[in-house]
Amino acid sequence: MARNRARAVGINLTSLMDVFTILVFFLLVNSATTEVLETPKQITLPASVVEEKPRETVVIFISPNEVTVQGESVVLVSEILEMTSQDIAPIGERLQEVSKNIIGLRTQIVAESQEVTILADRSVPFSVIKKVMSTCTSRGFARLSLAVLQKAPETRTASAN
Amino acid sequence: MARRHHYRRRTSEPAELDMTTFLNLMVVLVPFLLITAVFSRITIVELSLPSSVGGSAPTEPGFRMEVIVRDGGLELSDGRSMIATIPKRGDQYDLETLSSLVMSLKRNHPDDNDASVLLEPNIEYDHLIQVMDAVRSAELPQVDDQETTRVALFTDISIGDAP
Repeated sequence: MARNRARAVGINLTSLMDVFTILVFFLLVNSATTEVLETPKQITLPASVVEEKPRETVVIFISPNEVTVQGESVVLVSEILEMTSQDIAPIGERLQEVSKNIIGLRTQIVAESQEVTILADRSVPFSVIKKVMSTCTSRGFARLSLAVLQKAPETRTASAN
Repeated sequence: MARRHHYRRRTSEPAELDMTTFLNLMVVLVPFLLITAVFSRITIVELSLPSSVGGSAPTEPGFRMEVIVRDGGLELSDGRSMIATIPKRGDQYDLETLSSLVMSLKRNHPDDNDASVLLEPNIEYDHLIQVMDAVRSAELPQVDDQETTRVALFTDISIGDAP
């Protein structure tokens, strides 16, 4: 004679609630700190132990295929590899556009900073980076920075030599 | 006289708190925050210009540390002559040897802060950053506590083309 008793759920939820509460507090605090520069999804930045924070500047984004300046795709990496001169004209024009087109406060800060931040994928060859950098300096952007992912300092394990 | 049975329950249940609403909130909030959480931070390497993009060697006399990154390995020079050649270990550049050589150079020239990293055109950007890291600072294990301290070596790094 089976009695159908409506049983309450037998799972003990206390520990689950503990974990969720801690997790929520941690994630809330973590997402409260906003970043100036977002980690791009398409490329993998190299990692380094530097600690300087990025600033609001003109952003040049170099993926393995193309180069983007402040959001607008400008030139392809394959074209850059074929160019013999050290100056890349489309990037230069776009940089001049950026310094002139001042719409709001953010674009003004970016244009006045006279600085360029380069976000490049790990596998981009050095010649491409060098051409981009010399284009920037020839257009008056004297300060350049390279964006990297922050890596925790490695502890050297003592190896018996 | 009514018989009163003192029924004591076998198991005394604790006071039941209704978790459903709290659980609802958590189940929605935690996955959302996990998905939008950023765990990697972007930092920047500042370059010193305008000499940074020049390809020619500077005309200052005296000591100038140069690290030349070639496809086959690394070369360390002091501006006039080669100090060391560090071949690749397997497929990776031997950064530990580079780091120890740079540290010994810094001990000999404690006041010099500038160095150049010269690369061949097809070297990957990642290797540039790793070599710059090895040249800029090093981790020294402390004897007293188990932590390592980061020591600045050559902080003013310029980049150029390998000859």
